[in-house]
Amino acid sequence: MSSGLSNSRSFGDRVILALVIALSIVMLAPALWVIALSFKDNAELMANPNSVFHPPYIIQNYINIVGTSAVFRWILNSLIVSIGLTVGTLVLSSLAGYGFARLNFPGRDILFVVVLFGLAVPEQAVLVARHQIFSILKFHNTYQGIILPGLSSAFGVFLMTQYFRAIPKELDEAAMLDNASRFRVFWKVLLPLTLPAQATLGIFTFLGAWNDYFWPLISATKKEMFTLTVGMASTQTNFAQSEGIGYLMAQAVFAGAPIFIVYLFFQKYIVTAVSGAAVR
Amino acid sequence: MSAEIEIRNVSKSFGSAKVLENLSLSIPGHEFVVFLGPSGCGKSTLLRMIAGLESVEDGEILINGERIDHLPPGQRGVAMVFQSYALYPHMTVRQNMTFGLENINVAKDVIDARVADAARMLEIGHLLDRKPGQLSGGQRQRVAIGRAVVKEPNAFLFDEPLSNLDAALRTRTRIELAQLHQRLRSTMIFVTHDQIEAMTLADRIVVMNNKKIEQIGAPMEIYDRPATRFVAGFVGTPQMNFLDVTAARPGALGLSVACGPKLSIDTAVAPDVAGEVASLGIRAEAVSLAAPGEGQADGVIDVLERLGDRSLAHVRLDDGQMVVANESGQTRLGVGARVALRFDGTKAHLFDGAGKAYHGREAAP
Ligand SMILES: Nc1ncnc2c1ncn2[C@@H]1O[C@H](COP(=O)(O)OP(=O)(O)OP(=O)(O)O)[C@@H](O)[C@H]1O
Ligand SMILES: [Mg+2]
Repeated sequence: MSSGLSNSRSFGDRVILALVIALSIVMLAPALWVIALSFKDNAELMANPNSVFHPPYIIQNYINIVGTSAVFRWILNSLIVSIGLTVGTLVLSSLAGYGFARLNFPGRDILFVVVLFGLAVPEQAVLVARHQIFSILKFHNTYQGIILPGLSSAFGVFLMTQYFRAIPKELDEAAMLDNASRFRVFWKVLLPLTLPAQATLGIFTFLGAWNDYFWPLISATKKEMFTLTVGMASTQTNFAQSEGIGYLMAQAVFAGAPIFIVYLFFQKYIVTAVSGAAVR
Repeated sequence: MSAEIEIRNVSKSFGSAKVLENLSLSIPGHEFVVFLGPSGCGKSTLLRMIAGLESVEDGEILINGERIDHLPPGQRGVAMVFQSYALYPHMTVRQNMTFGLENINVAKDVIDARVADAARMLEIGHLLDRKPGQLSGGQRQRVAIGRAVVKEPNAFLFDEPLSNLDAALRTRTRIELAQLHQRLRSTMIFVTHDQIEAMTLADRIVVMNNKKIEQIGAPMEIYDRPATRFVAGFVGTPQMNFLDVTAARPGALGLSVACGPKLSIDTAVAPDVAGEVASLGIRAEAVSLAAPGEGQADGVIDVLERLGDRSLAHVRLDDGQMVVANESGQTRLGVGARVALRFDGTKAHLFDGAGKAYHGREAAP
């Protein structure tokens, strides 16, 4: 009886495994395609894309990138922007969340509703005004120009407020009786308990910033201030197609690498963040 | 090491709701005081005001003669054990205990020594490197007490610390708390709505009700000479029997009162309060069963609670009033049996319309 049960279970397991493998191949195929293309000679690919399935494979495209491409600069820009935005958002959202959850000040609840309205305002609606203001401030083509708008994260403030609210007030009180200053209560007692929320918010912010195209496209008009997304798009839409397809793909591999590394390190948190099952 | 706590004319409201009204209380050093009262009567609020977690809007709180009601919680020299324990979930047991000491820069070797002492006393030495999430409820409770003990406070404040434990553990912890008090000799204030906890732990009980203190006294004093009808009814299981008084006149012992047309009870209360008396209270143990016709009133047993060493008979008198009588040993009587009740009037209490109590001379300590 028990063997029948385990047989049926392992049959089910095998079906699931086969499905997972099939889906993985579907998901991975484009990435493998990009990697394979990046190791082929541009002219050969031009003549026949199927040449990707047989040697010769070369690393010339990567050598060319190291020598000539601006992709490193763009990766650096994207890193600065994404890390800046992530750190900034985490700091601001945590402080604001703590404030909304724990401090009593006049107008707090109204202010919170106002912040929530921010969730409903699409970026496009404020674009022209923001562009004007940033022109006057001479913020275009600067890092702060790309980073600043993203720092006002209504979602982040909302998430952190809810998270702080869920922490029992008795912990604050116990810490106060333990002679902890307000900042120490925040820093040593409450903040560590919000780590799952920090991870969720941090990952979403980082990925969002890394993949953002719209605002950097508008604000960064000089090639050396391009973020990776803007830079890559500019090469692909290059009219002369002077860079070959293999070269473009090598750039794409470079572009994807940092995200891949982030994923390797934060795998556990990303899974919980995406599944929404952040366990405290 | 042990604080005298003085509360003077303290009041508190939340918004428009008054929670405590003009309350005064003085607690000598070393004393184990229990705040006892029904849910919502303001016990926790008063405790939290002493701790500094609630502001004092009117009145003063002094510890060892110094006003502390304006000081932040950490500087009052008190430690609190919360009902939910409020352990820091991300810290180990050891870190939970050292956090407060590190905040005031106690030397490392002193901290280590105190933690070791407390861990030995509370038998939590093997748990020091665990997180609260890996402990049972009882173990968490000990850690919460340990966190208070290492601070060597002048006074311990407990807010219903036993209510999350099962019955057996609660009894055991109660005894351990009493031992802890004997060992440390610190002032302890313990909030509960459980009268058994109050009776067993307290040097003195502060019975609170409806924004006020009803009575302050030693457990047996509260039990034998309740100051008000509320205290009489709140303390003691089963609840004291209350009978409405219809007439009162001087009798053999003191005041003889009539509770309905057929029942009259000779009490030991001085007769000069005859005009005020509105009700009579008498505990079950002062009421005994007798054969029909041989007591002050006849009735039928409605409910019988067999407790092993004794039984509680809920008797419906012929005039409809319910009285609980205590029958020691295992009774042969059953539900529906006709019985008579004998009231020991010397142990009866009388109350006036406002609830103020009058006791007989016999009941005097
Ligand atoms: N922060 C608050 N805001 C408004 N009302 C409050 C607040 N804290 C307590 N109260 C009210 O004050 C009254 C006394 O509360 P308190 O917690 O002191 O009662 P308690 O005697 O400890 O009751 P329990 O035995 O249920 O713990 C209650 O009516 C409660 O609703
Ligand atoms: Mg309470």
